[in-house]
Amino acid sequence: MSTARILVIDDDPQIRRAMRASLTAHDYQVTDARTGEEGLEKLRSAGFDLVLLDMNMPGMGGIETCRLIRSSSEVAIIMLTVSNSEKDKVGALDAGADDYVTKPFSMPELLARIRATLRRLPQPPDPTDLRQLASQGVEIDLSSRQITVRGRTSHLTAKEFDLLSYLLARPNKTITHRELLQAVWGPDYGDELEYLRVFVNRLRKKIEPDPSKPQFLVTEAWAGYRFQLPKQSPLQGVSEP
Amino acid sequence: MILITGPAVPERRFFPRLFLQQVLRVVGRVLAALSLIAAITFVLHRLLHVNATTTGLCYLVAILIIATSGGLIESTVASLVAMLCLNYFFLPPIGTLTIADPQNWVALFAFLVTSLTASQLSARAKRRTKEAIDRQYEIERLYSLSRGLLLTDATKPMPQQVIQQIAQAFPFRAVTLYDRHREEIHRGGEDDTPELEGKLREVALRSTVFLDSPSGLTITPVRLGGRPIGSLAIRGSSLSDAALQSLLNLVAIGLERALSQEAVNLAEVSRQSEELKSTLLDAIAHEFKTPLTSIKAVTTDLLSDPSYELPEHQRELITIAVEGTDRLSRLVTDAIQLSRIEGGKFTLHREIQFPSSLVSAALRQMKSLMDGREITVSARDDLPAVWVDAGLIQMVITHLLDNALKYSPSGSPISISARTSDGRVMICVIDQGPGIAEDEQSRIFDRFYRGKGEQNLKGTGMGLAIAREIMDAHGEQIWVVSKPGEGSEFCFSLPTARQGGNE
Repeated sequence: MSTARILVIDDDPQIRRAMRASLTAHDYQVTDARTGEEGLEKLRSAGFDLVLLDMNMPGMGGIETCRLIRSSSEVAIIMLTVSNSEKDKVGALDAGADDYVTKPFSMPELLARIRATLRRLPQPPDPTDLRQLASQGVEIDLSSRQITVRGRTSHLTAKEFDLLSYLLARPNKTITHRELLQAVWGPDYGDELEYLRVFVNRLRKKIEPDPSKPQFLVTEAWAGYRFQLPKQSPLQGVSEP
Repeated sequence: MILITGPAVPERRFFPRLFLQQVLRVVGRVLAALSLIAAITFVLHRLLHVNATTTGLCYLVAILIIATSGGLIESTVASLVAMLCLNYFFLPPIGTLTIADPQNWVALFAFLVTSLTASQLSARAKRRTKEAIDRQYEIERLYSLSRGLLLTDATKPMPQQVIQQIAQAFPFRAVTLYDRHREEIHRGGEDDTPELEGKLREVALRSTVFLDSPSGLTITPVRLGGRPIGSLAIRGSSLSDAALQSLLNLVAIGLERALSQEAVNLAEVSRQSEELKSTLLDAIAHEFKTPLTSIKAVTTDLLSDPSYELPEHQRELITIAVEGTDRLSRLVTDAIQLSRIEGGKFTLHREIQFPSSLVSAALRQMKSLMDGREITVSARDDLPAVWVDAGLIQMVITHLLDNALKYSPSGSPISISARTSDGRVMICVIDQGPGIAEDEQSRIFDRFYRGKGEQNLKGTGMGLAIAREIMDAHGEQIWVVSKPGEGSEFCFSLPTARQGGNE
């Protein structure tokens, strides 16, 4: 895993130098970019596994850069924010980031976040469950991380896909917030409810026929989330043409 | 609905110069009317020799012409003179003012009544027409004024524009507006107005009309909903009562609109300055934290990796650098938080929140600093929702927690309680630290105040000041209960959603 390619986008040369030196020492391949525009350009040419993106940059800001990256790529993104406020964190996640780190951060913390973001789920969902979903008009392609809901195809980011896979592997069962966070993000997580709120909303936009009235990704108030698999009954067994 | 009432204002006043002109004009028209009667008499008596009936009809025609083209005075005088001429020149015995045949008395009387009635009717019709035209002019002018007031330029002072619009729309010789709210006087019109300030003030204050007939000056109060908001002095007004009232209504609405516009502008300016301050502080935070980030990343990386195998004294030196970075970072965060909220000049984004979720959000934020300390939370399930700015209240809780963590021995328990008291929700953070002496208790909420003793140097001296600013902005209290040796209890109150007037 430690050969992952990381793109650092930050306007501060000192931070770029520190990141390059530290991350290279931890066996990552590091490329850097001074602006959002340059970062987007570099992302186009080479396959990166993760982007470290500064939130406050002159020109195109971090949030806008994040949105643009997300519109065309499912690469993992960690935002570097200055403010510790809930608003900024949710703003970063909403723009499509997978995680955020508040400046100034310690290197072990950043490395843990990078590992958590690059970490993949060991256990894919059961194929029979997927077939059952397909009968409801929801088709999931595990290899390309693609999902098709009633003819509309969406790509999922790695974390979105992991979250959905984890829920799909345990259909009709409520999974607690803590379990989901630790399974998908890693053992250091457990209280970051805002991650789940934002990611579940992102997933609902991609898979629910009507995201405001979710029928698959169901919220269990104060407890967690559940993937509601439709029962296989003769009446419901026929999918829409 | 806006209702403005005022006592009646005399409709018209005559000024000496104007009066003389009018008298001369009437005399001229009377002379012209008499000449016409004389001419008819001459033609009929000397040239045509017609009978009395024809003459009477001719006179009637002439009188109708005079009444329609002139006024009541001319036609009445002409009627009397024509009656005398008819009697003298045409009714026997001719050449005297006596009448022989009683039938002719009746004819003469009928002629007089007919001619006088015709004069009256035609004069009245003429007056009505003139009045109608005057009203139409007034309405047109009021309309153009109201249109002008709607299209005022928001960048210029409204009262001055109101007065300019009045001077443009109405042919007043001078018009002066006193704006009671701004204590300003605005002038318009061609003539200079003598100093009216005292009178304008008096009229606005006592809400009565002031009249000065010789100079043709009227000062009327401008009222909005019965409340006097200024006064208007007009010289050379020929407006009807109704038109004057409409004019005053328009002025009142114009002034009121200006006031509300000003309030909106003021709010906008304060919002913009708040936004500017916020942007500036964000930029400062970014500038400070960027170099701190590279220092912290580098030093923590050096410390974390055992493969570097640092000698003990170097490890100690780098640890000092890391701690210095953390401290500077906290100082920057606190200083920026404090300047963001100080003076209470910021907007609260209140929403309905549950006390327990505020506490758990603050605990989540503090997790990395808790160092494995045990923090117990006791909150009743049936606590009412509160009406607060969630981000700021979480900040208060984190500062109190931070305080408790710093100033109590590591390993000693900390507890948070939430309960209702006097219809409010009270949240307390309780530690088992050394406590605070009574003389210090009143000062710990002051900015940059730090308790005596070396361990107090860990703080920035801003956390409790920030907490108090936030509570002040909510209109709520924060206080401490403590005794040396017995720990401290920091508490603050929150309004319930019901008290906040929301649902």
